Amino acid sequence: MKQWIGPAALALIAATGGYYGGLALSTFGLMEAAVRRIAGDTGLNAMRYGELPTPENQPVVRPSPDLAYSSCPYDLSKGPVLISITPAPGRYSSLSVFDARTDVVFVRNDMDAGGKPFQIALARRGQKVPAGVETVRVDYDRGIALVRLLLKTPSDIKDLDGVRRQSTCKPI
Amino acid sequence: MKTGYRYGLGLILGLGLGAGAAWHATGKGFADGDVRNGVWSTSLNYGTNSTDPLTRAAVARRGLLALPKTETVYWAATRDSSGAPLDGSCTYRMTGKALDSRWWSVTFYDKAGYLVANKANIWSFSGASLTPAEQSGWQVTIGPNKPESGHWLPSVAGQGFELTLRMYNPGAAFMKDPSAAELPRLVKEACA
Repeated sequence: MKQWIGPAALALIAATGGYYGGLALSTFGLMEAAVRRIAGDTGLNAMRYGELPTPENQPVVRPSPDLAYSSCPYDLSKGPVLISITPAPGRYSSLSVFDARTDVVFVRNDMDAGGKPFQIALARRGQKVPAGVETVRVDYDRGIALVRLLLKTPSDIKDLDGVRRQSTCKPI
Repeated sequence: MKTGYRYGLGLILGLGLGAGAAWHATGKGFADGDVRNGVWSTSLNYGTNSTDPLTRAAVARRGLLALPKTETVYWAATRDSSGAPLDGSCTYRMTGKALDSRWWSVTFYDKAGYLVANKANIWSFSGASLTPAEQSGWQVTIGPNKPESGHWLPSVAGQGFELTLRMYNPGAAFMKDPSAAELPRLVKEACA
């Protein structure tokens, strides 16, 4: 049996590594898969104005059928990105920025913004951004900026689609 | 068995067991939160840089792009008030009153966390559906058949399901003690 003590110890260490490696792989892997899936429609660093979630349209798990989602899969490896948001009057909306580890590095809703348009620059540390632009520094190149807009009924999108398309995302 | 083979076997077994344990541990997603209230469960630690690796991976797998608690609290229900798994062949009565948040909704998902096709094209029930009189008390039927009256959230007979309760911009009173807040109740009435 002594000959198995070493392999058993190695198995224990490998199991610990496999466990935490599996968690990290799930986190980063699922986020990267979502970035690629969304970027498949419009490319990186551009806003995708998604169709309302239905059983036939579910780019990510557990979508809310009460929200119109606009998403910008970003890649900062070649420079910062400017995100411009125009809230819809009197409706809940928010901008949230998720990094590659799925952490929310920025969130602001329409009330926080006083119902007024706002801009942020997404940038890695050390990247230059235009003076006067609010800057959000992130630790990873890739992630997703997501705009949620509340619909009271699905037909609301007819009236609100024009406003939501005023929110944009583009390289600086 | 040669020494090298024994170590190789230990390495492969260990990695497999560890990765399998990670996959199993992340499978419950929102339904495995540390805050419980009736049939509902949540964690108040989604989406922040202080989130632990297990919660982060579980949310990535079952609720990617979830917001932090300051913006939204996500509750999950996978069982009814008797502890039985939610069953699309059964009819449930959900009751409650207007929740302490700017906006809230209850959404029906399959066991994998996706919307399910139904003839009515209804997948959620929200505070926007309430009449002024229902602010102090509402009721929705969850089941495969449309009720004669009242709100309906369709299920699919023969399929298990999960519910997600979203509370956007939860109120200060709620955030003081989410586990004691008055959340919707879910009672099974009958099964086909």
